[in-house]
Parts: sequence; C-alpha cells; structure tokens
Amino acid sequence: MRKLKKITLAIFLLTCAAVLGSAQSITGLKVMENVYNRPTGPEITSEMTMTLTNSRGSTRERTIRQYLKKFGEDEKKIMFFTSPADVKNTSFMDWSYGDSSKDDDMWIYLPALKKVKRISSENKSDYFMGSDFTYDDLGDRKPEQDSHKIIDEEAINGKDCYVIESIPKDKNSMYSKTVTWVVKDSWVGAKKEFYDEDGDLLKTLTIHSVDKVNGYWVILDMEMENVQKNHTTRLQFKDVQIGKSISDNFFTERQMKRGVR
Amino acid sequence: MGKIKFTTFISVLIFVTGLVNIAAQDSISFGGYVRNYTGILFNNLQDSTSENDFASVQNTFDLKANFSGEMADLHVEGYVYADGDTTLSAGIRELYFDLYSDSMDLRIGKQQIIWGKGDGVFITDVVSPKDMSNFIIPDFDEIRLGVTAVKADYYLGDFALEGVWIPVFTPNILPSQDSPWAVSMDLPTGVKPSIATSLPSTTLENSEGFAKISYMGSAFDFELMGGTMFDDAPTGHVTPVNLVSTPKLVDVTKEYQRLLMGGGSFSTEIAGVVLKGEGAYYNGKAFNMSPDALLADLGSGGDGTIVKKAVHYMAGADYVIAGVNIGVQFIQEYILDYDSRINNDEFNSTLTFLTAKKFMDDSLELKFFGYYGMYNSDALLRFSAGYSVTDGMLLTAGADIFIGDAGYFGQYDENDLGYIQVKYSF
Repeated sequence: MRKLKKITLAIFLLTCAAVLGSAQSITGLKVMENVYNRPTGPEITSEMTMTLTNSRGSTRERTIRQYLKKFGEDEKKIMFFTSPADVKNTSFMDWSYGDSSKDDDMWIYLPALKKVKRISSENKSDYFMGSDFTYDDLGDRKPEQDSHKIIDEEAINGKDCYVIESIPKDKNSMYSKTVTWVVKDSWVGAKKEFYDEDGDLLKTLTIHSVDKVNGYWVILDMEMENVQKNHTTRLQFKDVQIGKSISDNFFTERQMKRGVR
Repeated sequence: MGKIKFTTFISVLIFVTGLVNIAAQDSISFGGYVRNYTGILFNNLQDSTSENDFASVQNTFDLKANFSGEMADLHVEGYVYADGDTTLSAGIRELYFDLYSDSMDLRIGKQQIIWGKGDGVFITDVVSPKDMSNFIIPDFDEIRLGVTAVKADYYLGDFALEGVWIPVFTPNILPSQDSPWAVSMDLPTGVKPSIATSLPSTTLENSEGFAKISYMGSAFDFELMGGTMFDDAPTGHVTPVNLVSTPKLVDVTKEYQRLLMGGGSFSTEIAGVVLKGEGAYYNGKAFNMSPDALLADLGSGGDGTIVKKAVHYMAGADYVIAGVNIGVQFIQEYILDYDSRINNDEFNSTLTFLTAKKFMDDSLELKFFGYYGMYNSDALLRFSAGYSVTDGMLLTAGADIFIGDAGYFGQYDENDLGYIQVKYSF
C-alpha cells in the first residue's frame, strides 16, 4: 500500500513537473515564432478572390492569381490581377527577406504604360488595393518586430488557442497592439484583433476556413472587418497548389509583362 | 509604295501565321473599352464668336484579342475612333505574334516598345514613335505608336538582352495645321514656305536597329541601350525658291535625321525613396536655325539646319507618405558644342511633379501632374479626379492648364481645357 502511495505521488509530481515545464517553456514570442516558422510549403500557387463590402452593403470583387516561392529565408511572390477588366493584366511582385533589417523589393507592371516600375516598400501600413488589409497585414510579420506575451488561453470553434498580445517595437506603427488567437496544435491563427494608436479596436480578422493541402495547413477563407468604418474585406482562396514546381526565373520582369499562364 | 507593300506583307504574314496557330490554341480572350471624352477649350467658351465651344467630343471603341497557346500567342488590338459627328477612323494599335521558349522570346509584328524609367518623358524611350495630334494630352498608351518590328529577348537569370529590328521607319504623327495643337516652323518675317515631307525610302540601310541589356535585382534595376535610328520628329530643310520676291519664297522639306543613340536608366530604393535616373546621348541630331540666322545660311548655301551631338537626362524620386504618391523629376536637354544660330536653347530644363491619392476603397483617385519649363517659366498643370462607378466603369473629370507665353508648354497658353470622360472596360 505504501509502495502504491509512493508511485501515485511520483506520478503526481512528474505530471506537475511536466505541466509546469510545459507552461514555462512556451512564451508569447515562442508561440509567434512557431506561427512564423510553420511550414507552408516551398512553392504555392492559388487564386484569390477579394471581396470588399462597404458600410452600405455594396460589394466590389477582384480576382488575383498568385505565385509564391521560398528561397531559404527569402521569399518571392507575383500577383496577377485577372479581374475586374480595368485592372486586368496588372501585376505586382514582392521579394521579401529573412533578414529583418532588409526592406522588401516591390515592382508593379501597369499594362497601360507597358512598363515595370520599382515602387517604394516603405509604407507597409498602406492599404492593399482599397482593402482592409495593409501590405504588412498580408505579409509575414517577423516575430522580433513585436513584444509578445500570452494573456489568456481560450477555445475558438472548439479549438484550444493561445491568446497573444503583441506590441510593436516601432513606435510609429499604425497599431498600438494586436491580439492573436493561435491554435495550439497547428500554430495557425484563428482570429486577430488590431488596435489603433489610441488603443481602440480598429479591425478584426476572422479565419473562416483552414485545411491541409499536401500536408501543410493553409488558410482558405478569411475576413477582415474594420469595425470603425463598418467595412469588410474577405479573401477566399481556391485552386491552392503546394509543391507544384515554379521556376526560379518565374519571378522576373519578363513574367510580370507576360502575365498569368 | 515599297513601304506599303512591305507593311502589308508583314501584316498578312502575321495574320495568316496567327490564323494557322489559332487552330491549336488553348485559349482566346477578349478585352477592351468603350469611351466618351468631351473636352472644352476654356478660351472658346469665353469667346462668343467661336463656332466650336466644344473643342472635342470623341468616342472610342478599343478591342483587344489574345489567342494564347502553350508556346505562342497572337495579340491584336484595334480601335474605332469617332471625332464628333464628322470623322470616323479605325486602325490597328498592335498586331503581333509571340513565340516563347525557356530562355528566349520572339515578337514579330506591329508593337509598342517602351523603354526607360522616367514618367511622362521620352529620353531612352525612343523606339516607338508618338502620336502628337493632341500634344501629350491623351493617355500614353494612345500617344505611343506601334512599329512593325522583330524583337528578340534572351534571358539569363536576372539579366535580359533585347534586340529590335525595325525594317520600316514610322515617324511621329504631328498635329494637323487646323488643330489647336499645330506647331508651325519659326521662319523670318516675310518668308512664305511651301512645305513637303520626305520619308526615308524603305531600304535595308534605312532600317532601324536597337539593343538593350537590362537587369532587375534586389539592390537596383538598370538598362543600357543603344540604337541606330531616325529621329521620329522631323527637321525642316529649307531650299530658297525666290528670296528677292515679296514674300520671299522657300521650299521646306521635313526630313528625318539619321542618328546614333546610346543611353541608360536605373532605379533603386533607399530608405523608402525610389531614386531613378535616365540619360541618352544622341550623335547626329538635327536642329533648325533661328529665323534671324536662316536667311544668311541660305545665302551661303546652307539649308537652315545644324547637326550636333546632344544629351538628354533625368533624375527623379518617388515616395509614398500617408498613402499619397509623390514623384519629382528634373529633366534637362543639352546641345553639345552649341551654335548660337540654333533655334533651340543650349539648355532646356524641366521639372515635373506628381501627386496622387486614392480614397473610398481605391474607387476615387485625385491626381495632379505638373510640368514646369525652367527657362521660359511655362507650365502644364494636369488635374484629374477619377471615380470608379462600378468595377470596370471609370468616370473622370479633369483640367489641363497651360501657363506662359512661350516654350514647349507656354505656346499652348490658349489651349486650357476641361474634360469629362466615361470609360467602360470589359
């Protein structure tokens, strides 16, 4: 009987140690690093539909074919606008770098001018194509750009999440803080809140659909709501292909002009 | 006649090749736009005796068709253009055939070829000529004319080599003499010209050739190019007919000067500012003499023109601040070994300023583009507000204001205009 008690006590202590050890090993920064480093596949192609809905309920829709390839820590992306007609054949290319001290390189091809132009990547807080997403929202924000802490644990749609508060280190950031719900077992975001410079809620990002494609978790449907302007942008992805080979030479001026094939 | 035959032959060749290719096409796509442009010359509006308050009511139908295969495309873009109720014209902007391989592209046919990094200026962008019928007021894709050419691009990593052969010279289209944009040659008082135009004959030695190497990379982009070409703008070569009569009679033959061009351009980003530059050196550029010097030159057997070397360059910067696009450029033309008899100034400097911002889900864009001629203190100020009523339908209102008494822009001081444009893209 005493032996059984000892074993029970040992199991209890070990369990406590494991729980405590686990809780202590995970930090807000670690969670966000896990999100940032979550494998997404070396090459991704997809068709994105962007639906803008304003406060009167009227909608505008853009479709974009996008190609992304990772080159180690760096990443190259081309987006081809396929509709509406007045922006069709416009393309946008972004080279982003693992080195956080290095700015992205961006170019745009405007078919009316038949010219590829380098554009400034400085203002990542500008909104992308009139949507509720800034360029920064759409990119992979590096974890070291913010100070993170776990403020809660909560279930979203039945999935256990860490709730992470992230405060930008750059005092000129357009957000005072963001709060992200990260699903524990997949390191995929489930929801995110963006607070303006006054600390008021500005936008809420809701993930509607996540699925595995070729073994990688992929967000297929998400919606950003600007609660101050009552304006939403929904991004829906289809024909997502991961692992389909994209040539290294795809991310060039040639392809921007040639368009989606 | 030889030019027409050659152009027709090339067009038919492309068309037949394209038709054969269509049979094996993977996809066919169409696009284009319908547009109404109503412009008012403010000067005419104030003049009650003017017969035409509306300087311009233009309707345009533009249709693009693309026949795409795995390794080949056929692209056609045509237009029908109605100027008021009186003039109807139709034409082909581009008609070309593309062949693709892994590392090389070949484009044959009528095509617009655009070079350079500058905005609203033509420094190294000299391959495609321009339609100057309405000065630089129309959209740039309509100002540029297609040239019948063979263009080959070879790609090597981030580098691209481009060669262009233009067998038939295509000059700029100049404004008609009854147009408010017409430019007359500066001649001495009391001289009456009889004007004719002489195009280069269609021979192999009169063909034009260009080459370019370009690089796109993380740190910077650049282009280096050169060409043996004709100046797309003519020079008036004067022959005396009777210099003792009243008025004095001369023949003026507009000729296109053969010249060599070499140049380059670059762009890079430093601390969020896109810096860009572009420059070209022209060897053999012809200039007209000033009216004061013309008669003396004719008396000594000259034809009123002087050939010189010249350079044309630009330095500029683009920046975005709080969603407002800002662009500035300094542009200068310089005639080397200047001769005071030349009608142009030795230096001609221009500043440009662009600012644009989008509002309301990018459906409203307010834009200003200004040119300022530093020597004559003249300017062109272009204001516009474009509102996307629905996806594909754009309503634009704008004004183009000319300031000054002389100079490239000041000469049109009477041509201030306002316009409304409705464009539906499909």
